[in-house]
Amino acid sequence: MQKKRSKKYRIIQALRIVSQSFFFILFFYLLINTRFPGEDYIGHVEIFFHFDPLLAITTFLASRAFFGTFLFALITIAITIILGRVACGWICPLGALHQFFSFVFKKSKLLNPKMPQDNHTVWKYYLLLFIVAGSVFTLNLAGLFDPFSLLFRSFTASIIPGLSYIFSNFLGLLYKLNLSSLGDSLVQLVENIDINAIFSQSFAIGIIFISIVLLNIKKERFWCRYICPLGALLGLFSKWNLIKLKIDSKKCIQCGLCTIHCQTQANPFPEDQWKVSECVYCYTCSAICPTSAIQFHLKAIPERTAPINLSRRRLIFTSILGALAVPFFRISPSTARASEKLIRPPGALPEKDFLQKCVKCGECLKVCPTNGLQLALTEAGPEGIWTPILVPRIGYCEYYCSLCSQVCPTGAIKELTIEQKTEVKIGTSWINKDRCIPWKFGDPCIVCEEHCPVSPKAIKLEKIEVKLPDGTIKTPLAPFIDIELCIGCGICENKCPVVDAPAVYVTSIGESRSERNQMLLDIIKSEEDI
Amino acid sequence: MKRREFLKDIAIGSLFLNISTLLHPQEKGFPHIALIQGESPSDITREAINTLGGMKKFIARGDLVVVKPNIGWDRNPQQAACTNPEVVKTVIELCFDAGAKQVKVLDNPCNPARRTYVRSGIAEAAKKAGATVLFPNPHHLKKIAIKGEWLKEWEVYTDFIETDKIINVPIAKTHSLSRLTMGMKNWLGAIGGKRNQLHQNIDFAMIDLSSFFNPVLTVLDAYRILLRNGPQGGRLSDAMLYKTIVAGTDYVAVDALGATFFGIKPEELRYLQLAHQKGMGEIHLENLNIAKKTL
Repeated sequence: MQKKRSKKYRIIQALRIVSQSFFFILFFYLLINTRFPGEDYIGHVEIFFHFDPLLAITTFLASRAFFGTFLFALITIAITIILGRVACGWICPLGALHQFFSFVFKKSKLLNPKMPQDNHTVWKYYLLLFIVAGSVFTLNLAGLFDPFSLLFRSFTASIIPGLSYIFSNFLGLLYKLNLSSLGDSLVQLVENIDINAIFSQSFAIGIIFISIVLLNIKKERFWCRYICPLGALLGLFSKWNLIKLKIDSKKCIQCGLCTIHCQTQANPFPEDQWKVSECVYCYTCSAICPTSAIQFHLKAIPERTAPINLSRRRLIFTSILGALAVPFFRISPSTARASEKLIRPPGALPEKDFLQKCVKCGECLKVCPTNGLQLALTEAGPEGIWTPILVPRIGYCEYYCSLCSQVCPTGAIKELTIEQKTEVKIGTSWINKDRCIPWKFGDPCIVCEEHCPVSPKAIKLEKIEVKLPDGTIKTPLAPFIDIELCIGCGICENKCPVVDAPAVYVTSIGESRSERNQMLLDIIKSEEDI
Repeated sequence: MKRREFLKDIAIGSLFLNISTLLHPQEKGFPHIALIQGESPSDITREAINTLGGMKKFIARGDLVVVKPNIGWDRNPQQAACTNPEVVKTVIELCFDAGAKQVKVLDNPCNPARRTYVRSGIAEAAKKAGATVLFPNPHHLKKIAIKGEWLKEWEVYTDFIETDKIINVPIAKTHSLSRLTMGMKNWLGAIGGKRNQLHQNIDFAMIDLSSFFNPVLTVLDAYRILLRNGPQGGRLSDAMLYKTIVAGTDYVAVDALGATFFGIKPEELRYLQLAHQKGMGEIHLENLNIAKKTL
């Protein structure tokens, strides 16, 4: 028998790699451009998320509300129904990354693919069911496992800050070596690439991401194979598609290379064991086949292929688990009473609705021009891990900026114009008179007042009398907060010279989105107005 | 050496010994300060500098010039929190006309530079005029001996040091601590470090920094002045159209004249008092030769 690999499928394979590279670069390009664009309004840099049916379904179920831009997800589903899981094999940037590292690990002999024996590919379906079951009961955990969210969040909060750290140290070295003109040109080259370099959970996010990448040493495309719930969802739709695998039994020498090297354990050989729902149409099998025995044909008539081997008992068990997860993720002090540090970005929906919609993608964290939006850890309870909170000590909420609300892919942060945004109150500022320089020492300092962006200012200065321990009396101007005017942006806390624990600080009370997190009776306010 | 020549040398030498004369060269026939009013910000800026004798008096051919506007806040020109972009542009154009090799424009703002440079309109205007617009580069910060009376050393952007000439182009605004912020307060934007601590002794900080940076020319933008809610304003009603430019080499005098726009006597401002006592400049307007003109 003539041994010859198929040229056609090697070309298709090359095209697939081009497509994957293109979409990865596009994803990265949009990620980098998720920043202050030099004007008030930004384009649809979050477009990838709108094509994600997992987020569309879970957000829809959890919030019982439909967000129009998720109609794009129907396109992904339509493509999957017609062509199979090409979105996983040809488009998904996280899949591309896993495939790249699988390739690297294979070439470096860290990964030696063997004939797959396990049936663990079903894990991801159970995970999907768990997530969907949770969302039926309004718990949206999709963001933890959604590939776009995972990739965007990890790059934003960990990988890019890490690279930026290296770059900035490299720059420092250049300047130390008196290569300042080279340093200057490098700085000017990247000056518009706004990088948020500080994230409270960079380490954890990075460890998780790197671990997921390192899992490719164990099995090729480990994540896509066993975990990815979006892949599982598309797998459910990939049954009746038109492209079907066909092995020419005359040519086949039963070497098993196709099944060993199948990226997602779709078992191309034997043909009747081919799992169409696992196949991502990477065409590795047909390209690697030493005798060109594997072909993919267009076939309109649905064919019987190996079904997804899900046990009914486990399906029921996972659904129950998903439902049971709801109270466990919800039991938290923050659901009983507003947390002072839970300062949500402007436009964020009331907390309950917000959590149902937020998919923890990190779009808002990336676009925030001051780096103030950070990943929550415990502030919003277990359910709200990695949702955005404003940490004014790191960065404040810029007055004429509503970028986070514009890039939010699910509407968890309602889109606002700049004018609408300046009306939103996200918290209230307080003075700690025990630490404030004028209040405590009687010395001048008006930094908070000077930076207050609202007009008239929410921080007023009044002359006060301070008696010092030695009996001297000083009469400095000291800050007072007008809580009616304060919008909680936190620039005062950010700029306060008492850097470790600022003498002026913001807590969430008074936020416009909440009815409960208020301190003054409206009735009193309206009487004052009269 | 003849006796006459010796005396002549002494006379010339003593001229140079007079430091304030050296710092602020005054030629006969030109006024100390120009106060020009008119509709067009660029016309009055041009006229003000021409009245002082033209930019060639301050900038030599081939000079590297740093122009320091106030680009402190994420506010547009109508809000009068940052220097008027037309004024900045005109100053840059005049520098190039006078033969400057390069003009750099930078400021260390309070809001992110990427925002303030855009919304203030200054980045665009300065680029149009051919200037090199730079974001403050943290790698350019260097602890430098200020040698002031109070401020001994501080982190300064070296762009302001590695240059031939500095031109200060502030805007006139109210400020709750120094009461007014004009030319001398503008230098807090040329430094880094924990500059918000300087507010604990702002008057001395302003004086020490001003004598350290010592601009060859100060062009005070009072096209719009900020009357309330300084130093960043917000509402358009916080600002007032004043359609005035003040230019001069004596930056103390420029601020003194600017104070009168707010109905404040220069002597009422502590930092001007102190600066005058130190012999840095004139605050008694009656002692100044002010050229006033309305276009």
